Amino acid sequence: MFTYAGIVLGVMVVVYVTAKLFKLSTELSMLAAAIAGGLAGGFGIPVRHIAEGSITYLDINLIFITATLFMNILKESGGIAFVVRGILTRFHNNRALLLMLLTLLLLLPGALTGAGSVTVLITGGMVAIVLNYMGIPLNRTAAIVFIIAGLSAAAPPVSLWAMMTAAGVNMPYVGFFLPLLVPCVIASLITVFVLGWKGSKTDLGRALAELPVPPAGMNWLKVIIPFALFILLIFIGRRWPHSTPVIGLPLMFLFAAATSWILSPVKLDILRISRETVDQLLPLIGTLTCVGILVQLMTLTGVRGLLAVTTVTLPIFLVFATLFVVLPVSEAVLMWGAAPVIGVPLVLLFNTIGLNPIVALAGMSVIWPLGDALPPTAIIGRLTVDVVDYKDSYIGFLKTCAIPAIIIMAIGTLMVVFSSSLGFLTGL
Amino acid sequence: MDLMTNIITIMYYLLVAYIVVIIIWNLIKTKKWEKEILYIVVLLPFLLRLFRLK
Repeated sequence: MFTYAGIVLGVMVVVYVTAKLFKLSTELSMLAAAIAGGLAGGFGIPVRHIAEGSITYLDINLIFITATLFMNILKESGGIAFVVRGILTRFHNNRALLLMLLTLLLLLPGALTGAGSVTVLITGGMVAIVLNYMGIPLNRTAAIVFIIAGLSAAAPPVSLWAMMTAAGVNMPYVGFFLPLLVPCVIASLITVFVLGWKGSKTDLGRALAELPVPPAGMNWLKVIIPFALFILLIFIGRRWPHSTPVIGLPLMFLFAAATSWILSPVKLDILRISRETVDQLLPLIGTLTCVGILVQLMTLTGVRGLLAVTTVTLPIFLVFATLFVVLPVSEAVLMWGAAPVIGVPLVLLFNTIGLNPIVALAGMSVIWPLGDALPPTAIIGRLTVDVVDYKDSYIGFLKTCAIPAIIIMAIGTLMVVFSSSLGFLTGL
Repeated sequence: MDLMTNIITIMYYLLVAYIVVIIIWNLIKTKKWEKEILYIVVLLPFLLRLFRLK
């Protein structure tokens, strides 16, 4: 049985690597590996399992699309530019406060959508302009945007790695709010102060000249009301769970998006924004769909069981000591697929030895996004250097990320090791 | 409560139908074969849900 599953796994790895060598995208390489696994396992092309696997993460895809639509409408209506300019104008003399508020601006889109790429695209460019005029070199600006974009994706309420892994071990996505929020906020603040504290006095005039100008009629109320509605819907659902219908995050984001659209001072072409949103998210929703298929085929052929058994029988010290390498590397190779493939057996192992699986998974979720700057995929890393307009060597950018990355790895690993003691964070 | 739940379910089906239209629109407009394949793969789960097959 082990030999059979080992051969199928070998075929999957070879096909994946070959597909990557032929410059196929990571999503299609995973799909090719899944189909090859089915063929090698003697199941032919198992259409039913492909369909079954493709729908695994449909609910998460719906959240991504509606949340990103909300963010894009807010950006197109001039809301994001209005907030960035407002914060800069009000706090340009207070470097510490300005850095903290810019961190919040970077955290918000990714936390709501679960995608670091959305942070980079929605607020990354504008925050980078402000950071540049605070005298921060471009390599540091790029590192700040990348690291916080990654942390924003891990931050609650929507953390893809935690959601996918929790789904894989049949654990409800409950109790993750503080275990994810606390390390993400702490690590983001450490990053922004380590990389952004040194600089010059903020050049307000030049920064304002470069930032986009929001349309007349935009004000704080028009920015806040959609967020307030979203928070209100979450609050009502949690406060009166038995007397309110379950709306679900996708509809909550859709209501917030509709409010933002109605309140926009300029007329917005909703069809164009929707098309651009889906196009912008194609790598993400494509990955989730292909990962679902891959995991389904891995389960069918026994490869998933092989990985799980191998992982749970590893010496625990070895697992702790290599988390900081295994997680980013798996993310770099499989992107979000790392969560169901690597994360699920690890959480099962941690649960078996009596650690708190929620806190341990939150700790792992903080480390995973670091892999988004590493080849072969490096999607968010490359996107960040493009958006920030950093032209020097990519290795130089990675070196600048090193210190905050080491701190984040340490935070994440310590959370896993001491997850039992940190169990109070879950509130369960 | 039941009425609200039914309305929410219908809204989800409408949302999925809207996304299906947008994906098909993008699929027709794109010129890259890799994107075309990916759009078809991505479309599959939405169609399965829309036609209540899954």
